Amino acid sequence: MELALGVVLDASADAARTTELARQADAGGLDLVVLRGGPDTGLDPWTAAVWVAGVTDRIAIGTTGFAPPPAHETPYPSVVEKARESADLLTGRRLVDGEPWTTAPADADRAALETLAADGRTVVVPVSDAADVARLVALVGPAAGRRRTAAARALRRDGIDYDGVPASLAATAVEPGDPEYLAASSTYLRGGAPGLVLRPETPEQVADALEFARAHTHVPLGVRSGGHGISGRSTNDGGVVIDVGRMNRIEVLDASRRLVRIGPGATWKQVAAALDPYGWALGSGDYGGVGVGGLATAGGIGLLGRAHGLTIDRLRAVELVLADGTLVRASADEHPDLFWAVRGAGANFGVATAFEAEVYDVGEVGWAKLGLVSTDLEKSLLRFGEVATAAPRDTTVFLVTGRPQRGQSMIQLYAIVDSSDPQVVVERLQPFLDLGVLVQQEAFMARYKDIMGQAPDIGPEGHNGQGEPVSRSAFLPAITPRAAHDTAELLRSGRVYFYQLRTMGGAIADVPADETAFAHRTPAFQATAMGVDQADLDARWDRLAEHFDGLYLSFDTDRRPGRLHDAFPPGVLARLRDLKRRYDPDALFRDNFPIDPRTTL
Amino acid sequence: MTDYGHDLLFGTFLTPSAQGARQVIDLAVASDRAGLDLVTFQDHPYQPAFLDTWTLLTYVAARTERVHLSGNVLSLPLRPPAVLARAAASLDLLSGGRVDLGLGAGAFWDGVAAMGGRRLTPAQGVDALREAIVIMRDLWDTQTRGGVRHDGTYYQVVGAKRGPAPAHDIPIWVGAYKKRMLALTGEVGDGWLPTLEYLPDGVDTLPALNAQIDEAATSAGRSPRDVRRLLNVMNVRFSATGRGVLDGPVDQWVEQLASLALEHGESAFLIGGDDLPTIERFAAEVAPAVREAVARERQ
Repeated sequence: MELALGVVLDASADAARTTELARQADAGGLDLVVLRGGPDTGLDPWTAAVWVAGVTDRIAIGTTGFAPPPAHETPYPSVVEKARESADLLTGRRLVDGEPWTTAPADADRAALETLAADGRTVVVPVSDAADVARLVALVGPAAGRRRTAAARALRRDGIDYDGVPASLAATAVEPGDPEYLAASSTYLRGGAPGLVLRPETPEQVADALEFARAHTHVPLGVRSGGHGISGRSTNDGGVVIDVGRMNRIEVLDASRRLVRIGPGATWKQVAAALDPYGWALGSGDYGGVGVGGLATAGGIGLLGRAHGLTIDRLRAVELVLADGTLVRASADEHPDLFWAVRGAGANFGVATAFEAEVYDVGEVGWAKLGLVSTDLEKSLLRFGEVATAAPRDTTVFLVTGRPQRGQSMIQLYAIVDSSDPQVVVERLQPFLDLGVLVQQEAFMARYKDIMGQAPDIGPEGHNGQGEPVSRSAFLPAITPRAAHDTAELLRSGRVYFYQLRTMGGAIADVPADETAFAHRTPAFQATAMGVDQADLDARWDRLAEHFDGLYLSFDTDRRPGRLHDAFPPGVLARLRDLKRRYDPDALFRDNFPIDPRTTL
Repeated sequence: MTDYGHDLLFGTFLTPSAQGARQVIDLAVASDRAGLDLVTFQDHPYQPAFLDTWTLLTYVAARTERVHLSGNVLSLPLRPPAVLARAAASLDLLSGGRVDLGLGAGAFWDGVAAMGGRRLTPAQGVDALREAIVIMRDLWDTQTRGGVRHDGTYYQVVGAKRGPAPAHDIPIWVGAYKKRMLALTGEVGDGWLPTLEYLPDGVDTLPALNAQIDEAATSAGRSPRDVRRLLNVMNVRFSATGRGVLDGPVDQWVEQLASLALEHGESAFLIGGDDLPTIERFAAEVAPAVREAVARERQ
C-alpha cells in the first residue's frame, strides 16, 4: 500500500541539526517535516517553518506544539495572511495548515505505520538523528510512483484518469495536491490550473504521455518547453500538460561542421552559454529565458536575425513524437515534408524531442540598450523604419514602446551589431540616436551568451504568470507614413501597454518562401502589441489591417478563425492541412494555431 | 569630515516584488555568491505588489550561505516588537548569525491603518520606536534573570519570558531623517540607515545629520562610533560618462564611495536597481577597490 511518511523534529534542538535532518528527509522522499515546539522552545514557529521550506525542495512542512503567543506578541492578522500568501508563492504551497497527520511512536515498525496510515493521512514519526531518518527513508523505499495523501488526492480534477498515468511518468508527474504544483501550473505570462503535468525525460516517455493524452481528448492538452508561449497554451484549466523541460541536453555532434544537438527543454540562455566556449552562437529571440522547443518550431525572429537568419533556418534535423506515438526524424532526406512543416507550424505535428542545428561563429558583438524620449511618436516610428531597414545586415535593432505619458513616448531600442570592432558598432548605432532625446544609453562589447544570460534562471519556484496574455502580431512589409500614423494613434489610445517592432530582412529574406512553413520572408518588421482586453485589442488591431501582411503565430492570442489564414498563406495552409490529415488526423495537437484536418477551407 | 573607522559593508537593496518573486530570489542568491555582505528588502506590508518582507528574508536566508539579511527598513507599526524580537532571534539562530535589523518608525500611515495597524503621529511614532528597541533588547538578553516587564505608552509587556538569545549581537539600524529620529538614533541606535534620494540635498545633507547623531550619542554618554552610518542609493548604474552619485564608470563609483567613507563616515553601501549585471560589477570591481582605497587612506 501507499505509505505517506514524515518526521517530527524537535524545534528546540540546535538549528544546524534541524536543518540537516529536514534536508535528509526531503532528499529521501519523505512527505512531511513537522516542527515540534515545546515549553522551552523560543523559536518563532513561522520563521522556523519558512526556514525549513527554504533549505528543502519538495517536502511539506507543518508545526505543532508551539504555545499560542500572549496578547502583546500577536501579529496583525492582515500581516499574517500576507505572510501566508508570500510563503505559498515562495515555497510552492509547502506549508501545511492545521495538523493533517497522525503521529506514530518513535519505534513503530512498518506494520504499525501501515495500520496508522489506513485512513490515508500522513503518518509522522519523531526522530532525533540521521539514523532515525534513514530508517524511515528505507521503509518507504524508492518511489515507484509518488505517494499522495488523502488531502492531496482530494484536489484532483474530474475527467483525468490519475491511476492510469503511465508507469514511466508516474514518479515525476505533478498533480494539484503536490508541493511542486504551484511552480508547475503557471507559465511566464499565464496563470493556470492544469489537472496533471507530465514531465517526460525521453522520447519514449513522450510517446507514453501522448498515449495518455489520446485517452483524454475531452480535456485541454498543452505542450510546454520553457513556458514562455503566448499563442502556445502551455498551461490550461483542468487539462493535461506535457512539459519537456527536463529534456534539456545540449551536445556537440560534429565540431568541424559546428553541428549541435539541443533538447527542447533547454533555454536559449543555456544554449548560448554552451556554445560560447567554441566561439559559436545560434540566434534565438530577444530573451534568454525562452525555451528551445516552442521557438524552434515556430521561427525565431531574433537579434542575430538580419546577420544569420531565423533560428529554424539553421536546423538540419528535428526529432519528434507524432500524435500516434511514432518517433520520427525529419530532415532534408527523412520525412522532408514533415521537416518543412515543423519549421513554422511544429505545434500542429508533434512534440519535438531534439533539434540538430548547424550553428555559426560569433565572436564579441556590440550590444546596446538605448532609451529615447519622443514627443512625436509618428515621426520616430517612421524614422526607425528607415534606419532599421537601411542598416547593414550585421545590425538588428528591436524597438519597444508603451503608453505615451503626457504626450511623450519612451522608446527603448535593443540592438546587436555582429561585429567585434567597436568603431563599427558605434557607426552602426549612430543613425538610431536621433529618434528622440537620448536619456539612457548602455552599449558595450559582449558575448552573445552574456546578452542571453541577462535573463534569470527558472528556479524551483517555476513561473508566476497570472491571468491570460492579450497579444496581437502582424508582419509589416514596411513602415509607411500611414502605418506610422495609425500605430501612433493606437498607442495614444492608451490601450496597448507594450508594442514591439522586430526588424527582419537581411539573412531572413535570403531563404526562399517555400523552404519552410514559416513563409513570411519578405516583411521588414514583425510587430507585437499587448493589451488587457482581447476584444478591444482585436478591434483596434483589425483597423490597422491594411498595413499588415500576415502574422507571426508565436505572439498572437486571437482565436478567431481568420488568424490561421494570416499565419499561413493559402498555398502553405493547404499543404499543412494535407500533412495534418496524414500525421495528426484526429487533431490531438489543438491548442496552438490548430489546423482542422477535416475542413478544406 | 569624520571617519568613524568601521569596516566597510557592501550590499543590495532589493524590491520584494511578488510578481517577480523568482527574480528577487535570484538577485539575492547572486548577491551572496558575488561576495556582498548584505541583502536588504524594503518593508511595506500594505503594498499588495510586494511580498511579506519577513517571510522573504527568512526564505532568502535559507537559500544563501554567507550574506547577512536585513529589512530596509522594517515597519514597526505593523510588526509588534516582541513578535519581531523573537522572529529575528530565531532567524539569527537558524542562519548562523546572519540577521541585522533595519527598523523604522513607520511612514504611510494610511497603509498602516488599512492593515489594521495603529495610526500614530510622527512624534508618537518616534516614542513608540524608542519603547520597542528597549523591549527587543530586553527579550534578547537572557543573561538577566526574571521576565521582561514594560509598561509603556505604546507597548505593554507583562513578565514575558526572555529569549531566544540570538546567535550574534543583532544591530538595530534606524531609518531616520528628522530631528527626533536622528536624536533617537544617536542615543540608542546601532546604525543609521537613510536613503540618499530622500536626503534633501543628497550627499551635502550628510554632515549636518551626522553631526546631530554624534551630538545625541555624546549626550547619551556613547561614542559617535557606536552608530554605524549606512546609506541606500536607489538609482545607480554603470555608464561611460559620470552624471551623478553612482552613475558613471567604475572608477568614479570607487572614488565617490571612498570619499563617502573617509569624509562622511559612511561604512555600508546598499544599492538599488534590481539589476544583476550591476550587482555583480559592484561586488567584483567596486567593493574591493573601495576597501583598498579606504584602507590606504586610513593607514
